[in-house]
Amino acid sequence: MKRARRAACLAAGVVLITAILAAGETRKEFRFTVGPRATVSIINQYGPVSVKPGAGSQVVVTATLYSDKVEIDQGQSGSRVNVLSHLLPGATAETGRVDYEVAVPSDASVTLHSMTGPLRAEKLHGDVTLEGATANMDVRDISDAHVHVKTLNGPVTLTNIRDGHVEITSVTGDVMLVSVSGPWVQVNSSSGRISYDGDFGNGGEYLLTSHTGDIEASAPPDASIDVTARSVKGKVENDFLLEPKHTPFVIKAGSAFAGTLNKAASSVKLLSFSGKIHLKKR
Amino acid sequence: MNCAEFQRILPDIIDEGHTPEQEAHLRSCYICSNLISDLTAISREAQLLQASEEPSPRVWNSIEIALRREGLIRQPLRDSEVPPPSRRWNLAWLLPVAAALLVAFGVIAHQRGMSRQTAQQSPVTPISESSLAHPSVDDQVLLEALGTHSPTMRVAYETNLRNVNAYIHDAEDQANADPNDEEARQSLMNAYQEKAMVYEMALNRSLP
Repeated sequence: MKRARRAACLAAGVVLITAILAAGETRKEFRFTVGPRATVSIINQYGPVSVKPGAGSQVVVTATLYSDKVEIDQGQSGSRVNVLSHLLPGATAETGRVDYEVAVPSDASVTLHSMTGPLRAEKLHGDVTLEGATANMDVRDISDAHVHVKTLNGPVTLTNIRDGHVEITSVTGDVMLVSVSGPWVQVNSSSGRISYDGDFGNGGEYLLTSHTGDIEASAPPDASIDVTARSVKGKVENDFLLEPKHTPFVIKAGSAFAGTLNKAASSVKLLSFSGKIHLKKR
Repeated sequence: MNCAEFQRILPDIIDEGHTPEQEAHLRSCYICSNLISDLTAISREAQLLQASEEPSPRVWNSIEIALRREGLIRQPLRDSEVPPPSRRWNLAWLLPVAAALLVAFGVIAHQRGMSRQTAQQSPVTPISESSLAHPSVDDQVLLEALGTHSPTMRVAYETNLRNVNAYIHDAEDQANADPNDEEARQSLMNAYQEKAMVYEMALNRSLP
Protein backbone atom coordinates (compact mmCIF):
# COMPACT_ATOMS: atom_id res chain seq x y z
CA MET A 1 0.00 0.00 0.00
CA LYS A 2 2.82 2.32 1.06
CA ARG A 3 4.78 1.43 -2.08
CA ALA A 4 1.78 2.21 -4.30
CA ARG A 5 1.29 5.58 -2.63
CA ARG A 6 4.99 6.42 -3.07
CA ALA A 7 4.84 5.44 -6.78
CA ALA A 8 1.76 7.64 -7.25
CA CYS A 9 3.56 10.59 -5.61
CA LEU A 10 6.60 10.06 -7.80
CA ALA A 11 4.48 9.93 -10.97
CA ALA A 12 2.65 13.09 -9.94
CA GLY A 13 5.99 14.80 -9.32
CA VAL A 14 7.31 13.82 -12.73
CA VAL A 15 4.14 15.08 -14.41
CA LEU A 16 4.35 18.35 -12.47
CA ILE A 17 8.04 18.93 -13.34
CA THR A 18 7.40 18.09 -17.01
CA ALA A 19 4.48 20.51 -17.06
CA ILE A 20 6.60 23.28 -15.48
CA LEU A 21 9.41 22.70 -17.97
CA ALA A 22 7.02 22.50 -20.90
CA ALA A 23 5.38 25.73 -19.81
CA GLY A 24 8.70 27.55 -20.37
CA GLU A 25 9.03 26.19 -23.89
CA THR A 26 7.82 27.85 -27.04
CA ARG A 27 7.63 25.98 -30.30
CA LYS A 28 7.74 27.89 -33.58
CA GLU A 29 7.53 26.69 -37.13
CA PHE A 30 8.69 28.55 -40.24
CA ARG A 31 8.03 27.42 -43.81
CA PHE A 32 9.82 28.67 -46.92
CA THR A 33 9.22 27.64 -50.52
CA VAL A 34 12.48 27.49 -52.42
CA GLY A 35 13.79 26.59 -55.87
CA PRO A 36 16.33 23.94 -56.78
CA ARG A 37 19.72 24.01 -55.02
CA ALA A 38 18.56 26.30 -52.26
CA THR A 39 20.93 27.45 -49.52
CA VAL A 40 19.86 27.28 -45.90
CA SER A 41 21.79 28.83 -43.05
CA ILE A 42 21.00 28.19 -39.38
CA ILE A 43 23.08 30.17 -36.89
CA ASN A 44 22.40 29.11 -33.32
CA GLN A 45 24.56 30.12 -30.38
CA TYR A 46 23.38 27.45 -27.96
CA GLY A 47 21.55 24.22 -28.70
CA PRO A 48 21.24 21.47 -31.27
CA VAL A 49 20.53 21.73 -34.99
CA SER A 50 19.44 18.69 -36.95
CA VAL A 51 18.87 18.72 -40.71
CA LYS A 52 17.13 16.00 -42.72
CA PRO A 53 15.70 15.86 -46.23
CA GLY A 54 12.04 16.81 -46.49
CA ALA A 55 9.38 16.50 -49.12
CA GLY A 56 9.00 18.83 -52.11
CA SER A 57 10.53 22.27 -52.36
CA GLN A 58 9.85 23.40 -48.83
CA VAL A 59 12.24 24.29 -46.06
CA VAL A 60 10.56 23.66 -42.73
CA VAL A 61 12.29 24.97 -39.61
CA THR A 62 10.94 23.93 -36.23
CA ALA A 63 12.48 25.83 -33.35
CA THR A 64 11.99 25.19 -29.65
CA LEU A 65 12.84 28.14 -27.42
CA TYR A 66 13.32 27.80 -23.67
CA SER A 67 12.98 31.40 -22.56
CA ASP A 68 12.14 34.91 -23.71
CA LYS A 69 15.87 35.79 -23.69
CA VAL A 70 16.17 34.63 -27.27
CA GLU A 71 14.17 35.27 -30.41
CA ILE A 72 14.31 33.92 -33.94
CA ASP A 73 15.28 36.19 -36.81
CA GLN A 74 14.44 34.62 -40.14
CA GLY A 75 14.36 35.70 -43.74
CA GLN A 76 14.30 34.53 -47.31
CA SER A 77 15.85 36.01 -50.40
CA GLY A 78 15.01 33.90 -53.45
CA SER A 79 16.22 30.41 -52.66
CA ARG A 80 18.40 31.58 -49.78
CA VAL A 81 16.99 31.07 -46.31
CA ASN A 82 18.59 32.49 -43.17
CA VAL A 83 17.59 31.67 -39.63
CA LEU A 84 19.39 33.17 -36.65
CA SER A 85 18.94 32.80 -32.91
CA HIS A 86 19.08 36.36 -31.67
CA LEU A 87 20.23 36.49 -28.07
CA LEU A 88 18.75 39.27 -25.98
CA PRO A 89 20.58 41.01 -23.12
CA GLY A 90 21.13 38.71 -20.16
CA ALA A 91 20.84 35.49 -22.16
CA THR A 92 22.91 32.55 -20.94
CA ALA A 93 23.70 29.15 -22.42
CA GLU A 94 20.53 27.82 -20.76
CA THR A 95 18.11 30.64 -21.45
CA GLY A 96 19.54 31.33 -24.92
CA ARG A 97 19.18 27.75 -26.02
CA VAL A 98 17.14 26.94 -29.11
CA ASP A 99 16.61 23.44 -30.51
CA TYR A 100 16.22 23.34 -34.29
CA GLU A 101 14.84 20.57 -36.44
CA VAL A 102 15.07 21.43 -40.11
CA ALA A 103 13.73 19.68 -43.20
CA VAL A 104 15.19 20.81 -46.53
CA PRO A 105 14.99 19.63 -50.16
CA SER A 106 17.70 16.99 -50.49
CA ASP A 107 19.67 19.06 -53.01
CA ALA A 108 19.86 22.08 -50.68
CA SER A 109 23.18 23.32 -49.35
CA VAL A 110 23.17 23.86 -45.61
CA THR A 111 25.35 25.87 -43.25
CA LEU A 112 24.93 25.14 -39.56
CA HIS A 113 26.56 26.87 -36.64
CA SER A 114 26.25 26.22 -32.94
CA MET A 115 28.77 26.79 -30.16
CA THR A 116 27.47 23.90 -28.07
CA GLY A 117 25.57 21.79 -30.58
CA PRO A 118 25.16 18.99 -31.31
CA LEU A 119 24.99 19.50 -35.08
CA ARG A 120 23.67 16.78 -37.33
CA ALA A 121 23.06 16.53 -41.09
CA GLU A 122 22.00 13.46 -42.99
CA LYS A 123 20.85 12.07 -46.35
CA LEU A 124 21.57 15.20 -48.40
CA HIS A 125 23.36 15.74 -51.67
CA GLY A 126 23.91 19.46 -51.36
CA ASP A 127 26.95 20.98 -49.69
CA VAL A 128 27.16 20.78 -45.91
CA THR A 129 29.12 23.25 -43.78
CA LEU A 130 29.24 22.83 -40.01
CA GLU A 131 30.93 25.12 -37.55
CA GLY A 132 31.08 24.92 -33.78
CA ALA A 133 33.22 25.32 -30.69
CA THR A 134 32.43 22.36 -28.44
CA ALA A 135 29.57 20.95 -30.50
CA ASN A 136 29.44 17.24 -31.37
CA MET A 137 29.13 17.01 -35.14
CA ASP A 138 27.61 14.11 -36.97
CA VAL A 139 27.29 14.00 -40.75
CA ARG A 140 26.04 10.88 -42.49
CA ASP A 141 24.77 9.50 -45.79
CA ILE A 142 25.87 12.39 -47.97
CA SER A 143 26.81 12.01 -51.64
CA ASP A 144 28.24 14.18 -54.43
CA ALA A 145 28.75 17.15 -52.14
CA HIS A 146 31.25 19.27 -50.28
CA VAL A 147 31.39 18.62 -46.56
CA HIS A 148 33.27 21.30 -44.62
CA VAL A 149 33.62 21.11 -40.86
CA LYS A 150 35.33 23.56 -38.52
CA THR A 151 35.55 22.90 -34.82
CA LEU A 152 37.63 23.95 -31.86
CA ASN A 153 37.05 21.10 -29.39
CA GLY A 154 33.99 19.18 -30.52
CA PRO A 155 34.27 15.61 -31.80
CA VAL A 156 33.43 15.07 -35.47
CA THR A 157 31.98 11.90 -36.99
CA LEU A 158 31.43 11.46 -40.71
CA THR A 159 29.76 8.26 -41.87
CA ASN A 160 29.01 7.03 -45.35
CA ILE A 161 30.09 10.03 -47.40
CA ARG A 162 30.39 9.16 -51.10
CA ASP A 163 32.10 11.23 -53.81
CA GLY A 164 32.62 13.95 -51.25
CA HIS A 165 34.92 16.90 -51.20
CA VAL A 166 35.65 16.76 -47.49
CA GLU A 167 37.59 19.31 -45.45
CA ILE A 168 37.75 19.12 -41.67
CA THR A 169 39.69 21.50 -39.43
CA SER A 170 39.79 20.78 -35.72
CA VAL A 171 41.99 22.09 -32.92
CA THR A 172 41.50 19.49 -30.20
CA GLY A 173 38.37 17.62 -31.27
CA ASP A 174 38.70 13.98 -32.34
CA VAL A 175 37.75 13.22 -35.94
CA MET A 176 36.31 9.88 -37.02
CA LEU A 177 35.67 9.02 -40.66
CA VAL A 178 33.79 5.82 -41.50
CA SER A 179 33.25 4.83 -45.15
CA VAL A 180 34.25 8.24 -46.42
CA SER A 181 35.55 8.53 -49.96
CA GLY A 182 35.81 11.11 -52.69
CA PRO A 183 38.15 13.07 -54.88
CA TRP A 184 39.40 15.15 -51.91
CA VAL A 185 39.41 14.24 -48.24
CA GLN A 186 41.44 16.44 -45.90
CA VAL A 187 41.54 16.37 -42.11
CA ASN A 188 43.70 18.83 -40.22
CA SER A 189 43.86 18.58 -36.45
CA SER A 190 46.17 20.01 -33.85
CA SER A 191 45.83 17.58 -30.95
CA GLY A 192 42.66 15.68 -31.81
CA ARG A 193 42.86 12.01 -32.76
CA ILE A 194 42.09 11.19 -36.40
CA SER A 195 40.70 7.81 -37.38
CA TYR A 196 39.75 6.64 -40.84
CA ASP A 197 37.96 3.38 -41.59
CA GLY A 198 37.23 2.84 -45.26
CA ASP A 199 38.66 1.77 -48.60
CA PHE A 200 40.08 5.15 -49.74
CA GLY A 201 37.86 5.03 -52.84
CA ASN A 202 39.16 5.00 -56.34
CA GLY A 203 41.29 7.94 -57.43
CA GLY A 204 41.06 10.45 -54.58
CA GLU A 205 43.51 12.51 -52.55
CA TYR A 206 43.48 11.80 -48.82
CA LEU A 207 45.46 14.04 -46.52
CA LEU A 208 45.26 13.44 -42.77
CA THR A 209 47.56 15.70 -40.73
CA SER A 210 48.00 16.39 -37.04
CA HIS A 211 50.35 18.10 -34.67
CA THR A 212 50.26 15.85 -31.60
CA GLY A 213 47.12 13.80 -32.28
CA ASP A 214 47.41 10.13 -33.27
CA ILE A 215 46.32 9.03 -36.73
CA GLU A 216 44.87 5.58 -37.34
CA ALA A 217 43.73 4.44 -40.77
CA SER A 218 42.13 1.05 -41.42
CA ALA A 219 41.75 -0.27 -44.95
CA PRO A 220 40.90 -3.62 -46.57
CA PRO A 221 43.66 -5.69 -48.26
CA ASP A 222 42.27 -4.78 -51.70
CA ALA A 223 42.57 -1.00 -51.12
CA SER A 224 44.27 0.72 -54.03
CA ILE A 225 46.58 3.32 -52.52
CA ASP A 226 49.83 5.17 -52.88
CA VAL A 227 50.65 5.95 -49.26
CA THR A 228 53.14 8.16 -47.48
CA ALA A 229 53.20 8.24 -43.68
CA ARG A 230 55.54 10.28 -41.60
CA SER A 231 55.75 11.43 -37.99
CA VAL A 232 58.64 13.72 -37.06
CA LYS A 233 58.73 12.66 -33.41
CA GLY A 234 56.11 9.93 -33.17
CA LYS A 235 56.05 6.23 -34.07
CA VAL A 236 54.76 4.93 -37.37
CA GLU A 237 53.35 1.44 -37.93
CA ASN A 238 52.16 -0.32 -41.05
CA ASP A 239 50.34 -3.69 -41.35
CA PHE A 240 50.52 -3.86 -45.17
CA LEU A 241 53.23 -5.20 -47.42
CA LEU A 242 53.75 -2.18 -49.66
CA GLU A 243 55.63 -1.92 -52.95
CA PRO A 244 58.49 0.47 -52.16
CA LYS A 245 58.50 3.84 -53.91
CA HIS A 246 60.84 6.76 -54.21
CA THR A 247 60.33 9.59 -51.73
CA PRO A 248 61.86 13.08 -51.66
CA PHE A 249 62.77 12.57 -47.99
CA VAL A 250 64.90 9.96 -46.21
CA ILE A 251 62.81 7.11 -44.81
CA LYS A 252 63.73 6.45 -41.18
CA ALA A 253 62.47 3.08 -39.99
CA GLY A 254 59.77 3.53 -37.35
CA SER A 255 59.11 7.18 -38.16
CA ALA A 256 58.08 7.02 -41.84
CA PHE A 257 57.05 4.65 -44.57
CA ALA A 258 55.95 4.98 -48.17
CA GLY A 259 54.79 2.61 -50.86
CA THR A 260 51.98 1.46 -53.07
CA LEU A 261 49.29 -1.18 -52.72
CA ASN A 262 47.46 -2.75 -55.68
CA LYS A 263 46.96 -0.19 -58.48
CA ALA A 264 47.68 2.83 -56.26
CA ALA A 265 44.56 4.64 -57.47
CA SER A 266 44.27 6.97 -54.48
CA SER A 267 46.96 9.07 -52.87
CA VAL A 268 47.07 8.83 -49.07
CA LYS A 269 49.24 11.05 -46.91
CA LEU A 270 49.34 10.57 -43.14
CA LEU A 271 51.46 13.28 -41.54
CA SER A 272 52.04 14.14 -37.91
CA PHE A 273 54.57 16.02 -35.84
CA SER A 274 54.54 13.92 -32.70
CA GLY A 275 51.41 11.79 -32.99
CA LYS A 276 51.52 8.03 -33.57
CA ILE A 277 50.50 6.84 -37.03
CA HIS A 278 49.13 3.37 -37.69
CA LEU A 279 47.98 2.03 -41.06
CA LYS A 280 45.93 -1.04 -40.13
CA LYS A 281 44.78 -3.93 -42.25
CA ARG A 282 41.06 -4.63 -41.82
CA MET B 1 30.55 61.43 -25.18
CA ASN B 2 28.83 58.27 -26.43
CA CYS B 3 30.20 55.38 -28.53
CA ALA B 4 28.85 56.71 -31.84
CA GLU B 5 30.50 60.10 -31.31
CA PHE B 6 33.72 58.44 -30.23
CA GLN B 7 33.86 56.07 -33.19
CA ARG B 8 33.08 58.88 -35.64
CA ILE B 9 36.35 60.60 -34.75
CA LEU B 10 38.34 57.41 -34.24
CA PRO B 11 40.90 58.02 -37.04
CA ASP B 12 41.78 61.43 -35.54
CA ILE B 13 42.08 59.91 -32.08
CA ILE B 14 44.52 57.28 -33.32
CA ASP B 15 46.59 59.81 -35.26
CA GLU B 16 46.57 62.64 -32.72
CA GLY B 17 46.03 61.05 -29.30
CA HIS B 18 43.17 61.38 -26.80
CA THR B 19 41.58 64.43 -25.22
CA PRO B 20 40.53 64.17 -21.53
CA GLU B 21 36.88 63.68 -22.63
CA GLN B 22 37.83 60.85 -24.94
CA GLU B 23 40.07 59.36 -22.25
CA ALA B 24 37.12 59.38 -19.84
CA HIS B 25 34.95 57.59 -22.39
CA LEU B 26 37.68 55.00 -22.98
CA ARG B 27 37.86 54.29 -19.26
CA SER B 28 34.12 53.74 -19.02
CA CYS B 29 33.53 51.78 -22.27
CA TYR B 30 35.25 48.47 -22.83
CA ILE B 31 34.00 48.20 -26.44
CA CYS B 32 35.71 51.41 -27.55
CA SER B 33 38.70 50.61 -25.37
CA ASN B 34 39.07 47.21 -27.07
CA LEU B 35 38.59 48.83 -30.46
CA ILE B 36 41.44 51.23 -29.77
CA SER B 37 43.65 48.33 -28.57
CA ASP B 38 42.85 46.36 -31.74
CA LEU B 39 43.60 49.29 -34.01
CA THR B 40 46.82 50.16 -32.21
CA ALA B 41 48.00 46.55 -32.37
CA ILE B 42 47.12 46.25 -36.05
CA SER B 43 48.80 49.55 -36.84
CA ARG B 44 51.94 48.45 -34.96
CA GLU B 45 52.04 45.05 -36.69
CA ALA B 46 51.42 46.69 -40.06
CA GLN B 47 54.51 48.85 -39.56
CA LEU B 48 56.54 45.72 -38.82
CA LEU B 49 55.22 44.16 -42.01
CA GLN B 50 56.20 47.22 -44.01
CA ALA B 51 59.74 47.01 -42.70
CA SER B 52 60.13 43.35 -43.52
CA GLU B 53 60.49 41.50 -46.78
CA GLU B 54 57.79 42.33 -49.35
CA PRO B 55 55.26 39.48 -49.51
CA SER B 56 54.50 37.84 -52.82
CA PRO B 57 51.64 39.15 -55.04
CA ARG B 58 49.61 36.11 -53.92
CA VAL B 59 49.40 37.55 -50.40
CA TRP B 60 48.00 40.85 -51.70
CA ASN B 61 45.59 38.92 -53.91
CA SER B 62 44.33 36.95 -50.90
CA ILE B 63 43.84 40.15 -48.92
CA GLU B 64 41.96 41.75 -51.80
CA ILE B 65 39.75 38.67 -52.25
CA ALA B 66 38.97 38.61 -48.50
CA LEU B 67 38.10 42.32 -48.48
CA ARG B 68 35.94 42.03 -51.58
CA ARG B 69 34.14 38.99 -50.15
CA GLU B 70 33.34 41.01 -47.04
CA GLY B 71 31.96 43.74 -49.29
CA LEU B 72 34.47 46.27 -48.00
CA ILE B 73 35.83 47.08 -51.46
CA ARG B 74 34.18 46.93 -54.85
CA GLN B 75 36.82 48.07 -57.30
CA PRO B 76 40.13 46.20 -57.66
CA LEU B 77 42.78 47.94 -55.55
CA ARG B 78 45.91 49.20 -57.29
CA ASP B 79 48.99 50.64 -55.62
CA SER B 80 48.17 54.11 -56.85
CA GLU B 81 44.46 53.91 -56.13
CA VAL B 82 44.28 53.43 -52.39
CA PRO B 83 40.86 54.68 -51.27
CA PRO B 84 40.70 57.31 -48.52
CA PRO B 85 40.14 55.88 -45.05
CA SER B 86 36.49 55.57 -44.12
CA ARG B 87 35.22 57.58 -41.19
CA ARG B 88 32.55 55.03 -40.32
CA TRP B 89 34.09 52.37 -38.12
CA ASN B 90 32.69 48.99 -37.42
CA LEU B 91 34.19 45.89 -35.74
CA ALA B 92 33.26 43.71 -38.73
CA TRP B 93 36.22 44.89 -40.79
CA LEU B 94 38.61 43.46 -38.20
CA LEU B 95 37.83 39.93 -39.40
CA PRO B 96 39.33 40.11 -42.91
CA VAL B 97 42.14 42.33 -41.70
CA ALA B 98 43.11 39.93 -38.92
CA ALA B 99 42.88 36.96 -41.30
CA ALA B 100 44.97 38.79 -43.90
CA LEU B 101 47.56 39.73 -41.28
CA LEU B 102 47.78 36.13 -40.16
CA VAL B 103 48.34 34.92 -43.71
CA ALA B 104 50.93 37.64 -44.34
CA PHE B 105 52.74 36.83 -41.08
CA GLY B 106 52.81 33.16 -41.96
CA VAL B 107 54.26 33.75 -45.40
CA ILE B 108 56.83 36.30 -44.22
CA ALA B 109 57.90 34.27 -41.20
CA HIS B 110 58.32 31.22 -43.41
CA GLN B 111 60.22 33.13 -46.11
CA ARG B 112 62.51 34.70 -43.52
CA GLY B 113 63.23 31.33 -41.97
CA MET B 114 64.03 29.79 -45.35
CA SER B 115 66.28 32.61 -46.51
CA ARG B 116 68.20 32.72 -43.24
CA GLN B 117 68.68 28.97 -43.33
CA THR B 118 70.11 29.14 -46.85
CA ALA B 119 72.32 32.14 -46.19
CA GLN B 120 73.81 31.04 -42.90
CA GLN B 121 73.88 27.26 -43.45
CA SER B 122 73.49 27.11 -39.70
CA PRO B 123 71.78 24.25 -37.85
CA VAL B 124 70.20 26.80 -35.47
CA THR B 125 66.57 27.28 -36.47
CA PRO B 126 65.25 30.83 -36.28
CA ILE B 127 61.91 31.16 -34.56
CA SER B 128 59.80 34.15 -35.41
CA GLU B 129 57.86 35.94 -32.70
CA SER B 130 54.55 34.99 -34.26
CA SER B 131 55.27 31.30 -33.94
CA LEU B 132 55.95 31.08 -30.20
CA ALA B 133 53.61 28.77 -28.33
CA HIS B 134 52.70 31.63 -25.99
CA PRO B 135 50.06 34.15 -27.00
CA SER B 136 51.37 36.91 -29.28
CA VAL B 137 50.30 40.57 -29.03
CA ASP B 138 47.43 39.88 -31.44
CA ASP B 139 46.40 36.87 -29.39
CA GLN B 140 46.45 38.94 -26.18
CA VAL B 141 44.26 41.61 -27.76
CA LEU B 142 41.80 38.96 -28.92
CA LEU B 143 41.80 37.21 -25.54
CA GLU B 144 41.21 40.48 -23.71
CA ALA B 145 38.23 41.23 -25.93
CA LEU B 146 36.85 37.73 -25.34
CA GLY B 147 37.55 37.95 -21.59
CA THR B 148 35.50 41.12 -21.29
CA HIS B 149 32.60 39.31 -22.90
CA SER B 150 33.00 35.97 -21.13
CA PRO B 151 35.89 34.78 -18.89
CA THR B 152 35.08 31.12 -19.65
CA MET B 153 35.33 31.78 -23.36
CA ARG B 154 38.68 33.49 -22.85
CA VAL B 155 40.08 30.38 -21.12
CA ALA B 156 38.80 28.11 -23.90
CA TYR B 157 40.28 30.28 -26.65
CA GLU B 158 43.56 30.66 -24.76
CA THR B 159 43.95 26.88 -24.69
CA ASN B 160 43.12 26.63 -28.38
CA LEU B 161 45.56 29.40 -29.29
CA ARG B 162 48.32 27.71 -27.30
CA ASN B 163 47.65 24.52 -29.24
CA VAL B 164 47.79 26.18 -32.64
CA ASN B 165 50.80 28.32 -31.72
CA ALA B 166 52.68 25.17 -30.69
CA TYR B 167 51.61 23.60 -33.98
CA ILE B 168 52.94 26.61 -35.93
CA HIS B 169 56.17 26.61 -33.92
CA ASP B 170 56.93 22.95 -34.61
CA ALA B 171 55.80 23.16 -38.25
CA GLU B 172 58.12 26.15 -38.78
CA ASP B 173 61.02 24.27 -37.22
CA GLN B 174 60.34 21.36 -39.53
CA ALA B 175 60.03 23.55 -42.64
CA ASN B 176 63.17 25.53 -41.75
CA ALA B 177 65.14 22.31 -41.28
CA ASP B 178 64.49 21.40 -44.90
CA PRO B 179 63.02 24.20 -47.03
CA ASN B 180 62.48 21.76 -49.92
CA ASP B 181 60.35 19.43 -47.85
CA GLU B 182 56.88 19.59 -49.40
CA GLU B 183 55.16 17.80 -46.51
CA ALA B 184 56.72 20.16 -43.98
CA ARG B 185 55.40 23.13 -45.95
CA GLN B 186 51.98 21.47 -46.04
CA SER B 187 52.05 21.09 -42.24
CA LEU B 188 52.98 24.75 -41.82
CA MET B 189 50.13 25.82 -44.07
CA ASN B 190 47.74 23.60 -42.10
CA ALA B 191 48.95 25.08 -38.83
CA TYR B 192 48.30 28.63 -40.04
CA GLN B 193 44.92 27.53 -41.40
CA GLU B 194 44.02 26.39 -37.87
CA LYS B 195 45.04 29.71 -36.37
CA ALA B 196 43.04 31.60 -38.97
CA MET B 197 40.04 29.41 -38.08
CA VAL B 198 40.37 30.19 -34.36
CA TYR B 199 40.50 33.93 -35.11
CA GLU B 200 37.59 33.70 -37.53
CA MET B 201 35.46 31.86 -34.98
CA ALA B 202 36.34 34.29 -32.21
CA LEU B 203 35.71 37.44 -34.24
CA ASN B 204 32.76 36.21 -36.23
CA ARG B 205 30.87 34.12 -33.69
CA SER B 206 32.07 34.64 -30.15
CA LEU B 207 32.25 38.42 -29.91
CA PRO B 208 29.07 40.48 -29.74
